[in-house]
Amino acid sequence: YETIGPGCHLHPFDVTIKSDRRGTCRGSHVVQACVGYCESSAFPSKYSVLLASSFKHNITSVSQCCTISKMQKIKVRLHCRAVRHEEIEIFTAKSCQCDMCRLSRY
Amino acid sequence: LKASSINLRTFIGCAVREFTFLARKPGCKGMRLTTDACWGRCETWEKPVLDPPYIDAHHRVCTYNETKLVTVKLPNCAAAVDPSYTYPMAIRCDCGVCSTGTTECETI
Repeated sequence: YETIGPGCHLHPFDVTIKSDRRGTCRGSHVVQACVGYCESSAFPSKYSVLLASSFKHNITSVSQCCTISKMQKIKVRLHCRAVRHEEIEIFTAKSCQCDMCRLSRY
Repeated sequence: LKASSINLRTFIGCAVREFTFLARKPGCKGMRLTTDACWGRCETWEKPVLDPPYIDAHHRVCTYNETKLVTVKLPNCAAAVDPSYTYPMAIRCDCGVCSTGTTECETI
């Protein structure tokens, strides 16, 4: 990702899909993800925040993260043994933006 | 983070940066303080996956990695009020999860 600058951008990657563990039917496709660098900061909490958290939250983090703002379904053709084909639908990102972070709660 | 040597518009990473705030609590006069806090841009991503909830997220934010607690005395406090005010100062900042145990996690 070294060429990516600030902001949140579409980034292609390959997916390989197998229909079962033995890979009876399989196919691969290029799918878009969103990757980037959005602004975030952390600083001492205001008194009102301290009070509301019983003085536990002495740091306030204000952040944005790179998110998928629009998804699209695409059809991927799976090739099975012999000449059989199967088709499945998977998601790909259509647009990206710096937006709310998903919190990992402990 | 020395603003003079780094272009903040294009900066990538997570660094210690000066931050000025008003320290105040009831019964005392507020005091303007400058301390070290954290600022930056961390790598974050979301990618579609085959199973629900169909999106896998890697969301790390620029936050305190190592802290020192600093205590100051606020001016002009009422007689019954303890004038000490303690706040965290960043020693090191790093991209990490926003831990809701110690941190008020907000979005812009």
